[in-house]
Amino acid sequence: MKVGFVGLGLMGRPMAGHVAKGGHDLHLWARRPESLAPFADSGAIVHASIASMAREVDVLFSMVADAPDVEHVALGPQGVAEGAAGRTDLVFVDMSTIAPDAARTIAGQLAAKGVSMIDAPVSGGEVGAINAALTIMAGGTQAAFDRVLPLFQLMGKNVTRVGDSGAGQVAKACNQILTGVGVLALAEAFAFAEKSGVDAARVREALLGGFAYSRILENHGQRMLDRNFKPGFKSWMHQKDLRIVMNEAHRMGLALPSAAAAAQMLNAMVGQGLGEEDSIAVLKVLEDLGGVER
Amino acid sequence: MKIGFIGLGVMGRAMVANLLRAGHEVTVWARRAESMQPLQALGALPSASPADCARGADAVVTIVTTGDDVRQVVLGPQGVIEGAQPGCVLIDHSTIPPSAARDIAAALAARGIDMLDAPVSGGERGAIDATLAIMAGGDAAVFERMKPLLSAVGRTLVHVGPTGAGQVTKACNQLILCAFIEAAAEAARLAAASGVDFGKVREAMLHGSAGSKALELFGGRMASRDFSAGVQSRLHHKDMGIVLGEAVQLGLAMPLSASVWQQLNALMAQGGGTLDTSALLTVLERQSSPH
Repeated sequence: MKVGFVGLGLMGRPMAGHVAKGGHDLHLWARRPESLAPFADSGAIVHASIASMAREVDVLFSMVADAPDVEHVALGPQGVAEGAAGRTDLVFVDMSTIAPDAARTIAGQLAAKGVSMIDAPVSGGEVGAINAALTIMAGGTQAAFDRVLPLFQLMGKNVTRVGDSGAGQVAKACNQILTGVGVLALAEAFAFAEKSGVDAARVREALLGGFAYSRILENHGQRMLDRNFKPGFKSWMHQKDLRIVMNEAHRMGLALPSAAAAAQMLNAMVGQGLGEEDSIAVLKVLEDLGGVER
Repeated sequence: MKIGFIGLGVMGRAMVANLLRAGHEVTVWARRAESMQPLQALGALPSASPADCARGADAVVTIVTTGDDVRQVVLGPQGVIEGAQPGCVLIDHSTIPPSAARDIAAALAARGIDMLDAPVSGGERGAIDATLAIMAGGDAAVFERMKPLLSAVGRTLVHVGPTGAGQVTKACNQLILCAFIEAAAEAARLAAASGVDFGKVREAMLHGSAGSKALELFGGRMASRDFSAGVQSRLHHKDMGIVLGEAVQLGLAMPLSASVWQQLNALMAQGGGTLDTSALLTVLERQSSPH
């Protein structure tokens, strides 16, 4: 297949690389030419605009920061819709994390121009992207999903079509509620153990076999014990994702008290200058608030 | 003064009446023409668009719901900016994000039009009695010049600081008020669940250290279970969205506001958006009574 890719950041670069390694023709466009440097010897075809890429490829991926960026790629001047004029077989796959509502709106506008859209946010971070082990949660029609599935399988391990347009972003929002609240709960448990004079490492070990077991307890817990706050997942990005969750909750009229509390801690982290650290650095905020001596 | 007035809801109508009473010449505009009729009977002139409303005015007053509404009537097609002359002052009484107020002020400044962001507190009663508290941001000299207008609709007039400062003040006002209302609701719930009459509890507390306007007004409505009159909770819900949006922008933890926001979300889900915010009590009742 001819596959286009926009957004060659920490996540997008390895994801696009896997597509090329899978034997597909990779087409690229980037705002900054230096983003294309890692692909210099890959045989990828570089385009002067997104529209030019959209004229040629079968599937076009985007992996950018926020809804306005996706909107710009999809509907902006020299964007996907413009390039796809006259075509009816292009599938646009957005793997960024944006509001479900925004994804549905963009999908609706693209559909009017004959372009199918899949919202397919991912979980698993940079490591998952490099190891082609991402979890991919997709929303869109079954037919469009089936066409893209072989490409998804090159980037990730757990690929699920959750439902129609927007359903992928809803699943991602649910994922961020669980990880946001989960990391905060874990940090609270560790701060509690520390202040009680009990070794948090032993507490973690004791809990691993019980009902409180979780991947977060295992992986994030170990990193907290190691005081390794390198991302992982940067707390400013987690803040952004929970902002999406809370805005959707506001829009729909849905009470999410725990997610709201977690969002406030992420606000505090960014305010304290911890935005570039992993969200497990919330432990430092709690230790500081609670006068925990280490 | 020659004044253009846009937004003839519950608040706007009362404010126009007070401006007319104070001897100002007022031209009004509202999306629905029938909203203008009762005010024409009091001496207001109708207009065909926000631009038309602003033509020749010394000041244009807006009081609408959201930041997008303000942007639309001020900067949109046929907006105030197309009709207002340089030197005209836009006074926006709406409650909108500080960042939106700053953006709109900047766009107007480029055309030589000054802006005061001047949200109000005091509700319908305050608007009718011209006793509103007005918290303004913008140029201090412009604020002084507009005092004859502002004093016709409000009693407490405070210039807080530069553009946006009025909206920051209003955000502070709303977060304190909503937290107090939720606290009053939790107290009402505790009293009722303990078999104690909240009406009596409220009376006992009113002049003590927990005494507040919120306990008096909203607590009173909780005691009498009259949730129909007052401030529509959907507006407080909107305002708490602004507060928590600012918290994200600024990197601030606001744990209490975030909790109150969620209770308001639940009230919206119950279909209580047009009820007074004292109906937060009914959310608590649902949360802790057997289904």
